[in-house]
Amino acid sequence: MRSSTTTPIRRTLLRMIFLSAGAVLAVTTTAFCAYEFLTFRQSSVQQLQILSRAIASNSTAALAFDNAEDASTVLAAFKADPHIAAAALYDSQGKVFAMYPRGLSAAQFPMRPGAPGYAFGRTELIGFEPVEEGSKRLGTLFVDSDLGAMYARIKLYGLIVFLVIGISVPLAYLISRRLQHQLLQPILALAETTRAVSERHDYSVRAVRTGAYEFDLFTDTFNQMLTQIQLSEAKLHAQLGRLSLLQHITRATGERQDLPSIFQVVLDSLEANLPMDFGCFLLHDAAARSLTVSVLGAAGKGFADKLALAVRLDVPLDANGLSRCVAGELVYEPDVLKVPFPFPQRLAAAGLKSMVIAPLIVENQVFGVLVCARRKQEAFSSGECEFLKQLSEHVALASHQARLYGALQQAYDDLRQSQHTVMQQERLRALGQMASGIAHDINNAISPVSLYTESLLEREPNLSERARGYLTTIQRAIEDVARTVARMREFYREREAQLTLERVDLGRAVRQVVELTRPRWSDLPQQRGVMVDLKTDLNDGLPDIMGAEHEIRDALTNLIFNAVDAMPSGGMLTVRAHRSVQVDGADRVFVDVSDTGIGMDEDTRRRCLEPFFTTKGERGTGLGLAMVYGMIQRHSAELEIESSVGKGTRVRLSFPAYTSSAVMNSHVTRVPVVNRRLRILLVDDDPLLIKSLQDTLQEDGHRITATHGGQAGIDAFGAAQKRGECFDIVVTDLGMPHVDGRKVASAIKTMSSATPVILLTGWGQRLIAANDIPPHVDKLLSKPPRLQELRAALAELLP
Amino acid sequence: MAVLRKVLAGWLCGTLALISFCGVCGAGAATEYEVKAVFVFNFSRFVEWSPQAFSAPNAPFVIGVLGNDPFGAHLDEAMRGEQLDQHPLVVRRFRTVEEIGDCQILFIDRSENERLGQIIAALDHRSTLTVSELDRSSERGVMIQFTTENNRIRLRINVEAARAAGLTISSKLLRSAEIVSIRGGG
Repeated sequence: MRSSTTTPIRRTLLRMIFLSAGAVLAVTTTAFCAYEFLTFRQSSVQQLQILSRAIASNSTAALAFDNAEDASTVLAAFKADPHIAAAALYDSQGKVFAMYPRGLSAAQFPMRPGAPGYAFGRTELIGFEPVEEGSKRLGTLFVDSDLGAMYARIKLYGLIVFLVIGISVPLAYLISRRLQHQLLQPILALAETTRAVSERHDYSVRAVRTGAYEFDLFTDTFNQMLTQIQLSEAKLHAQLGRLSLLQHITRATGERQDLPSIFQVVLDSLEANLPMDFGCFLLHDAAARSLTVSVLGAAGKGFADKLALAVRLDVPLDANGLSRCVAGELVYEPDVLKVPFPFPQRLAAAGLKSMVIAPLIVENQVFGVLVCARRKQEAFSSGECEFLKQLSEHVALASHQARLYGALQQAYDDLRQSQHTVMQQERLRALGQMASGIAHDINNAISPVSLYTESLLEREPNLSERARGYLTTIQRAIEDVARTVARMREFYREREAQLTLERVDLGRAVRQVVELTRPRWSDLPQQRGVMVDLKTDLNDGLPDIMGAEHEIRDALTNLIFNAVDAMPSGGMLTVRAHRSVQVDGADRVFVDVSDTGIGMDEDTRRRCLEPFFTTKGERGTGLGLAMVYGMIQRHSAELEIESSVGKGTRVRLSFPAYTSSAVMNSHVTRVPVVNRRLRILLVDDDPLLIKSLQDTLQEDGHRITATHGGQAGIDAFGAAQKRGECFDIVVTDLGMPHVDGRKVASAIKTMSSATPVILLTGWGQRLIAANDIPPHVDKLLSKPPRLQELRAALAELLP
Repeated sequence: MAVLRKVLAGWLCGTLALISFCGVCGAGAATEYEVKAVFVFNFSRFVEWSPQAFSAPNAPFVIGVLGNDPFGAHLDEAMRGEQLDQHPLVVRRFRTVEEIGDCQILFIDRSENERLGQIIAALDHRSTLTVSELDRSSERGVMIQFTTENNRIRLRINVEAARAAGLTISSKLLRSAEIVSIRGGG
């Protein structure tokens, strides 16, 4: 485990210890040896000197009295020192007198004595000692001592040094190892820790204390640093994780456009990645001061059950954390057990000990809160709180955008709808204007027919029954035409058509329609070689209904036309009317129009009531069933369509039966008649109308002056006034070229304000309905004018 | 060549023989009394006299010869320039024992053989070291007797006589001499 970086420390330390110890040892032993050597040399010299002096002293008599024997005996005393290799005694003349050992070869001592003193040779110590008695020099003693003793001593020292080194080196090694261990262990441990940190980025490791003060200080500091790094690292890691989570959630919410799905994905992400044990979104209703559960976290379902929380359930908003949060504050309750409010207590009871409530704020308004909870107490770090705060801002923003998107989508849809409606209205308006023009002309055109027919029926008692029947039919047809023309204008009228309800015998209406439409279901198909078989099934004793007969007839006509069109290859057309009393007691009358034609698919069936929707191409207007539907609506009736492709269609109209309680709107009044003869000025641009009006009114006994055009009328009135023959009343058409009815009325009133003016108009019904009677006009009558209405108006204005 | 080598060898041998003969003759001529003169002088170094032996601290150290003087000039030569402590060395020659005044060492010549007993007696209780070469003189009371042995001069010392005279003879001298234990004359 020891890495190469740590080895040099050990080696260096070992080397240092060995070098220092070795140096000390070397210096010590060298000094010791040198000292010993020098001392030994000195002592050797001294010893030799002492010995020599003693011998020399003892040799004096032998020399003085020339006793060689004695001298030899004295020299023999050198035997005491085994290192004395040779000795010689010279007399005062320098001749050899005696020698030691006896029989010494001449080569072993100098022939002549040297100067007194001692000197070391290579292998010996040589000394010359003067032999004196008193001050008398008697001779010289030569001594040659080999250095055996010194060598022996040196050998001994060598051995000692060797032993010392031999013992001290392993000892030094052991001690240094021990010291090294003490010294290096903390360093190596620290190095190991550092390596672990740098290589593995593992900041959780800690250096171990060793008990050495400085190292422990160092280790503690190092560990403290590691702890701080670890904390920072963990914080950074958590921050990064949360950042990534925030990004993930932001991206996920960006892909969603509705609040619940945004909330759901946020909760899913939080539960999986924050994580948390329970989470939910509550929506805030500022007006009601309440919070409603919007979305619950999927993983925290168990807690939601324990908390008795469910989607769309209200959470009371009292003086708890929720209300603080609703005020725009992030609320963190580290220990909900200590919060004595209902909502935290609910959490605590469910086993959730800590919670964070983050407000969702858009434009300074808290529209909801995010509730996050965990089982443990104090489980949310400040970083997580901050994260949840930021997250709630993101979620609020995303929610806001989703709402904006929704609003935008709604506005766009509304706009499209409006555009569609406007287009339809525009089409209807164009159609209505066209219809209005046509209606005006038709009303003008049929006015003489209406007047003459009414006049004939009234005044010709001698008419045959047949002629009277024809005339009656003509009169009804004219009335139908007039109503149809009037109803055409209803298309572009914005308000509901005024409907005058009367008792209608449905059976009679059905028979009339079948008769009226015969050419369509019988004659035309037969021309193409196709057979349409029509069957009417009318129950006896059908009650009347309240309604507008002409509308019902039109509706039935349209239904029969559709049925014939649905059977291009012929088939059976059944019109059935029957009565049914419902379980709730409602008495209803049904009219079924069934065919065995091609039928409708589901899409067509669903759209068939839309105006302008047609399957007939250029032949259809797309208004037939729409008109039927309008009639149904106006009659509080019901429409039921059953159809299957290839089998046929059945349309059922269901009307409430007439009961005596139903208000009868129509009433027959006795028409008042003016008995005196009146001078009447007729102003119109239509000669036929003028003629017919003139004829019929003259027959009533009135004096009629007819003028063609507005200006002519005004002129005629002025001329008559000048003559003093004032008109009792003026009847003028509204729509005339150059000078129209309004101007005529205005001019008449200027000349004679008391003279009543009756305005006739092809648009009359609309003006009446619009309550738009022009000024100076006393009475407005619609074309075709009915004689009875005209008489009533005259009677009303000129009583 | 052979002739030349023989001549050269013979010359060398002759020269060496001449030199060695002269050395032997010289030594032999100087040897006995020259050596004995040195010996007498050397006695002054190995014998200790009491201060009472001198009349004055710087009184001369007298070496006397009684009877005929066998030394000739050798004794004087041996003493020349020598001094013992404060005492200058002086050689005096005496004819009779009565002539002898202060005398530290007295050499009694062979000629005094007849009078030796008297001399010893006369010198009794005087700090005079008596030296003689007379045979058996040490037994007769002479303190140091020269003898000749194997052509070498040897000493015989009567320690008791010397001690009686108040003289201390160095042990070194005693070791190289023959000690005579019989006390002569007394």
